[in-house]
Amino acid sequence: MSTVLIFSNNPQSFTDAIGFLEVLKQKGLNVDKIIGVTSNNSANTEDIKKLGILELYLYDSKSTDDQIAKGLFQLVKKFSPNIILSSSSKTNNSILAYLSGLLSLPMLTEISDLLNATSDTLTLSRSVLAGRAYSIESVKLPAIITITPKKFTPSNLAATNDIKLDNLPLQDTTVKIVEVTPKKREGVKIEDAEIVVGVGRGFKSKEDLKLAFELASLLGGEVGCSRPIAADLRWLPEDRWIGISMKKIRPKLYIAIGISGAPQHMSAVDAKIIVAVNKDKNASIFSYSDYGIVADLYQFLPILINKLKKK
Amino acid sequence: MPNIAAFVKISLDPNMIRTAGDDKIDTVNMQMSISEYDKNALEEAVKLKEKYGGKVIAFTALTWGPIDKKLKDTEVIQREILARGADELYVITSNLILNSSPLYTSILLAQAVKKVGNFDLYITGESSMDIGSSQISSRVASILGLPVITYVRELEYDPQNNLIRATRDLEDSYVKVEAELPVVISVTGEINQARIPTLLQIRRAFSKPVKILTDKDLNIPEQQLLLHKREDLKVIKINRKNIILEGKSLDEIADKLISKLREEGVLKV
Ligand SMILES: Cc1cc2nc3c(=O)[nH]c(=O)nc-3n(C[C@H](O)[C@H](O)[C@H](O)COP(=O)(O)OP(=O)(O)OC[C@H]3O[C@@H](n4cnc5c(N)ncnc54)[C@H](O)[C@@H]3O)c2cc1C
Repeated sequence: MSTVLIFSNNPQSFTDAIGFLEVLKQKGLNVDKIIGVTSNNSANTEDIKKLGILELYLYDSKSTDDQIAKGLFQLVKKFSPNIILSSSSKTNNSILAYLSGLLSLPMLTEISDLLNATSDTLTLSRSVLAGRAYSIESVKLPAIITITPKKFTPSNLAATNDIKLDNLPLQDTTVKIVEVTPKKREGVKIEDAEIVVGVGRGFKSKEDLKLAFELASLLGGEVGCSRPIAADLRWLPEDRWIGISMKKIRPKLYIAIGISGAPQHMSAVDAKIIVAVNKDKNASIFSYSDYGIVADLYQFLPILINKLKKK
Repeated sequence: MPNIAAFVKISLDPNMIRTAGDDKIDTVNMQMSISEYDKNALEEAVKLKEKYGGKVIAFTALTWGPIDKKLKDTEVIQREILARGADELYVITSNLILNSSPLYTSILLAQAVKKVGNFDLYITGESSMDIGSSQISSRVASILGLPVITYVRELEYDPQNNLIRATRDLEDSYVKVEAELPVVISVTGEINQARIPTLLQIRRAFSKPVKILTDKDLNIPEQQLLLHKREDLKVIKINRKNIILEGKSLDEIADKLISKLREEGVLKV
């Protein structure tokens, strides 16, 4: 093993990638040289130095995906890395998939486990079928891999070298970025909450969600939601969105209210106890729950809230 | 709008998990359906066609085998793609793409669109609902030498300037972009509400052509060594108590729930 190229549009990916390289090393694959590529926005060279990266290439944060991928293509031709590594995110995956098309290389996204490594083949595991199954895949090196964020944490960040900085070569593109609007965030960390009350499309209006907030506050928990509540209806900010395309939670208790139980939602819930309130007795949420209540949430919640208030 | 190519995957349906033996996913017999967000991609293409004219040609690469069985099993779904408004459907079959490696699937899809014609817009969903690699749009774009715009939740076509304006829905921000055609885009599930085909549309679908393209038609050389292979596909078991709390009144059920949660030690109050 020799060279690894770590690409990242955000600082988290560097730590994730170094964590993955440690696991590779445990499996007997050593890395001699690490090249880093990131946007000039997120580059904290002091932190990146600690990771043992020898050369760091920067690009303007207003570059488009095809531009960055073509810049990366030049670097890959120059350094012939055995692995191109990043953590999985919409932007990282889009850019690296473009690169993999240019290079005709295999690429695996959202890798959660490294099972085996030889000098020319990795065996990896990723979650598929909306989180209902996992797929074990083997890939010949060189390959492009994006790993599940925060899955691999590095233990020793000892290295401090002189880091060489350079610019990623960029070409023109026919895509123009017109405007960037940051999303609203509340800063809630439902991923750390011990009790989560989940709300779904069974709620008829944004105002009605106060029932769930009241229940959550009585229980000392947080409110989370399904994708349509955050993404479609925008009733709640996206840091409350539970599911394979956003946040995974691991509370002691999850109470799903007016949620049908789609695998894309439920696969992200790793709770000791799951309770479901749904008026449809055939809703698939009941197969994911320990205790089910077949009832209209508008009738059941006020009663439950009242009882908890009296305790 | 001139012509649109829509990539629509016929996926294993994660709502219909089926296993063979203990924990292997039974990909041969599991029920399939149109990948959820590819329905939104197709809908968006059809909406543009209704407004600006042109054609919508759908492409589906059959990534689960055996090929003959799946071709037959998915006939109804192929018709559904046409009923949803595509004018023609190309079904791509090849041993190379069985088991869904985006590396080979994207090469075949790119070859197929090149063979069929010139398109102004290529559209697909943000990710498939079975394998979910989220790679196809970017990969096909780079093979065709076009730019890509992923995770589009708003799309507009400007016929005067022959460009599209799109809003990308990313983790931390919405990004508005403009791009000249041709371009490849992927859409999120929020971009529209895909219509359910009417009876008339379903009937019309029977007169629309479905054409099969094999790797021979696409001049794909036989691959000696697969660079990427699926070794195994295993179910994650759900182990829950599945108790439905019953009682004479909701009052009684609420009491039962509270005492159960106490017993389990998950209530702080
Ligand atoms: C690739 C992909 C990724 C996805 N990612 C995610 C994700 O990350 N997170 C996510 O949540 N979803 C995700 N989805 C969407 C998912 O498939 C479902 O569409 C979504 O989770 C459904 O949300 P819901 O349960 O709130 O709404 P619905 O499915 O509409 O369910 C509403 C439920 O409320 C019940 N109900 C209605 N009225 C009442 C009442 N008065 N009292 C009690 N119950 C009532 C109904 O019986 C129904 O079961 C994804 C889908 C795809 C294809």
